[in-house]
Amino acid sequence: MERRDFIYRVGLAGASLPFLDATAASAQTARAKSVVYIFLSGGLSQYDSFNVEVDKPVLGKSNIIKSNADGVRVSNYYPKLAKQMDKILVLNSMKTDQGAHPAGIYKMLTNYNPRATVTHPELGAWVNKNLTSQQDSLPNFVNIGSGRAGTAGFFPGQWAALPVKDPDKGIDFVKRNKAVAEKAFRNRLDILSSLNADFQKNFGTKDTQSYVDTYAGSLRFMKSEDIDAFELQNENAAITNLYGKSKFSRSCLLAARLVERGVRFVKVNLGGWDYHDNIYGRMPANANALDSGLSSLLSHLGQKGLLDSTLVVVSTEFGRKPDVNPNAGRDHHPDGFTCLMAGAGVKAGQIYGTTTSDGKHADENVVDVTDFNASIAWRLGIDPNLEEKAASGRPFELANKGTVRKELFG
Amino acid sequence: MRFLMTWMAVGLCFCVSFVLLAGEPSRATGKNVAVAVDISASAQAIDQLIAAELKKQGQAPRGQINDYTFCRRIYLDAIGRIPTIIELEGFVSNKNPDKRSLLIEKLLHSKGYNSHWYNYWADLLRVKDVGDKLHHSGNFSEWIKGAVRSNKPYDEMAHELISASGELYKPGNGVTGFYARETMPLDHLANSVKTFMGMSIECAQCHDHPYEDWTQQDFYKLAAFTSKTHLRVDPLPQDEKKIYAKDRHVLKNRDFNEWIVYRESIRVKHAAIYGNGTGFMRLPHDYEYEDGEPHQVMEADVLFGNMPKVNYEMTKAKLASLPKNHLGPEIDARSSMATWMTSPDNPMFTKATVNRLWHAVMGTELVGQLGGLTVEEMGDHPSLTEKLINVMKVLKYDTKLFLSVLFHSDTYQSKALVLNATPSGYVLDGPVVRRLPAEVIVDSFLSLKTETPDKYVATEFRWDGFTHFYEKSKNMTAKDFVEYSVKGPGRAQFQNREEREAMKRNGDMGPHELWRVSTFGRNYKENWVSMLMGKSNREVIDGAAREPDIPQILFLMNGLGIPGDALVNRKLSQAATRKDKMEILWKAILGRLPKKSEESIFGNAPDDVMWALINSNEFRFGR
Repeated sequence: MERRDFIYRVGLAGASLPFLDATAASAQTARAKSVVYIFLSGGLSQYDSFNVEVDKPVLGKSNIIKSNADGVRVSNYYPKLAKQMDKILVLNSMKTDQGAHPAGIYKMLTNYNPRATVTHPELGAWVNKNLTSQQDSLPNFVNIGSGRAGTAGFFPGQWAALPVKDPDKGIDFVKRNKAVAEKAFRNRLDILSSLNADFQKNFGTKDTQSYVDTYAGSLRFMKSEDIDAFELQNENAAITNLYGKSKFSRSCLLAARLVERGVRFVKVNLGGWDYHDNIYGRMPANANALDSGLSSLLSHLGQKGLLDSTLVVVSTEFGRKPDVNPNAGRDHHPDGFTCLMAGAGVKAGQIYGTTTSDGKHADENVVDVTDFNASIAWRLGIDPNLEEKAASGRPFELANKGTVRKELFG
Repeated sequence: MRFLMTWMAVGLCFCVSFVLLAGEPSRATGKNVAVAVDISASAQAIDQLIAAELKKQGQAPRGQINDYTFCRRIYLDAIGRIPTIIELEGFVSNKNPDKRSLLIEKLLHSKGYNSHWYNYWADLLRVKDVGDKLHHSGNFSEWIKGAVRSNKPYDEMAHELISASGELYKPGNGVTGFYARETMPLDHLANSVKTFMGMSIECAQCHDHPYEDWTQQDFYKLAAFTSKTHLRVDPLPQDEKKIYAKDRHVLKNRDFNEWIVYRESIRVKHAAIYGNGTGFMRLPHDYEYEDGEPHQVMEADVLFGNMPKVNYEMTKAKLASLPKNHLGPEIDARSSMATWMTSPDNPMFTKATVNRLWHAVMGTELVGQLGGLTVEEMGDHPSLTEKLINVMKVLKYDTKLFLSVLFHSDTYQSKALVLNATPSGYVLDGPVVRRLPAEVIVDSFLSLKTETPDKYVATEFRWDGFTHFYEKSKNMTAKDFVEYSVKGPGRAQFQNREEREAMKRNGDMGPHELWRVSTFGRNYKENWVSMLMGKSNREVIDGAAREPDIPQILFLMNGLGIPGDALVNRKLSQAATRKDKMEILWKAILGRLPKKSEESIFGNAPDDVMWALINSNEFRFGR
């Protein structure tokens, strides 16, 4: 677990939150209000999922099936999404310069190569810092499931993600300890207030005040109606039934509930894609989880009319090799892999970019991972060239020289 | 029993306020020279400098603290937890006029010290696994624990860290973990400079430093000391070819899992830091300044101070005539750099060290930013900085003695300073009110639970799966590795099995709930409560946080429980009156007696009061 978690409306002790008009967000380009960022750690096999436009042997044991979008075909492991490809833009020409998991994940989520002298904020932290306003009652960066925690890097810890490890358990310790009656709890808080007031008189600093404020904020949060968003059992049955019971499906349901309430950036993790061996034995279960969860999420957002203002993306640190190795697995492949985008006016039902037909390289319209993230930021109305300084004074730009690919959007 | 006698001896020695340092053999005579150090005199010298400065500034001296406040403060700063109620009462009722000095010495020689200061150095040195396969940090962690236990002089410690080489998992050679911490050599150099000299030169890695004097060429000249040093996890090419290649090929084409076990188990034996510096470096391919060409050969040079001896075997001209991938023969130039970096003559090493330790104990920066010092900088009170640098040198970098000097000063034993955003006036005259480090808060919960919070701190090397398997592998042939991979515990289990065997070897380590935070770590699950409190994730130097956030507060309010059989609850059940119970709670949790004004709280249920005291700012702040 990374060291900082989230904070909003509290504990800022003097630091004021921006009103939206004062942020880097520009209304002209802000087509997306929220992002659901599905991250597949381990490395999704593009040739067993969404890039089937290559020579037949590259596809290994995968078969091609048609989708509901003309000219878009997918592998047989994604039958549900095949019926919704009209909502999805497939990017088949993704490229990264990292071939090992930790560095690849770091690059995909932060735009930077890992350096030992500084840690960079994840894209979600940039969004959180730049799009949080005083009106917001929920954190604008939530990280669901296990995986990289959603770190704030060199930003203050308040911009890191709120961690939700299990979508069905919600936020840890957000409820009063059952052994303590409501009345006793209130009594405890009264005693605490008098102790802290006394300490504040003799030893008060901005740090002690920050604790007093954060207790107040935590109590508001415990009582807030907004935490209902984290209670999946409160969703009505018609919606719940859209989703399966797997942890990833439940995570997607939580993501949609958060987006409904205006949360800006929700990262959902689905790991386990590193199939160096027996890929056709081990991958189908994971593919099925992605197929169900993502198709439910798209249906749900569509039904609620939220898909127009929500950008749903699927990314992974790199792809897998065109040849199947002697252990019936596929090894890492950074040059030509596949990511997806849906909603917020992307050119849905299309494929962008190609790999060479032997599957060895990204070919036409190559999209660097920094371009991918720059385009997401731009769609939220954030300038990808936005610069922030680390503690040492070193400046870093959000997208690390990545360029916006406006042609991905209609 | 033995450690008790040791501190008694030191304590006795202390009554005459001299400590004998085992001197190093004098180079001139070859005889041992004992250095007599007067701790009290050094502490007084600090106090005098501060008194003079206060007078100059027209500031009144701070008052001294009572025994309760002193006892809580010294436990927190010397051993990283609050005193138990028994320890507190014992100290307060003690009539010995030297009791403060005796307590300082007792704590500095206790197991609690080993735990607390391990946490401190492990953060600075960023003890953490690297990559998913590059380095497992257990052996490194044990090396630091060993150095703290044996009170290795800090300059020796730093020298060994900078110049380490050899196998990563060889028991006792965990010092290599510091180099293995970085995958990129230039990053490692920048971090070494920041760690040991408190300077930030990383900008010069890629371009001339924007606001300081360092140029990219300066950086490359320093890097020349370390060139060719690298972490290699697989066997050397000649060993690979001769010993392992054939079986590796067979396994790779037969069974993926067996091949993985083969690769990983061989790595445990062979992973090592190779290369020790050639004294030459080449400018990068994109070098853009006029004072040099891309790939031009640079000879090692220091940033300032005296150039250490480097035993060159090749001339610069000769190397320049060779192809651009040549860097010259290895001549242990890295060790020369370590000598320069840690020398008492280096203007930054000692300054950065005293700046750091003053900050740890007093909460303010003596000189400046821990990782952003400049060569000229001497802080707001240059003569104090100079004095402390001198004390450190006289003490021969014995950090325990240096801390003893600080703890004995009236400055340390004076009322805490409330330092707000814009300090006015002189601020080096006392410790600052500040939030306690994450590990200290969590370890303080232990002081509420048990009479013996330090019981399970290790007194000797502890094995993990990697050091354990390394030892096993010493006599393993390629055939043995094949057998281990094919018929052994299998891919999913082999690391776990080695860890389990190592744990068995370590014997009874006590129940997890009675461990200090320092005992958790790589081989056991992380202590997540300390992470919630802001413990450093050790990605970067000084990465710990002391701010609140909502998950932390939710845990403190709704998640933290003090068991019914905890020390504080046992004490409560023995108390006759409500007033006695309240006194117990105040002493156990806040380390003091309740104030008159707080008696209005006494009417509440003890459970409610205990909750409020543990959640109070006074509990988690040093004062």
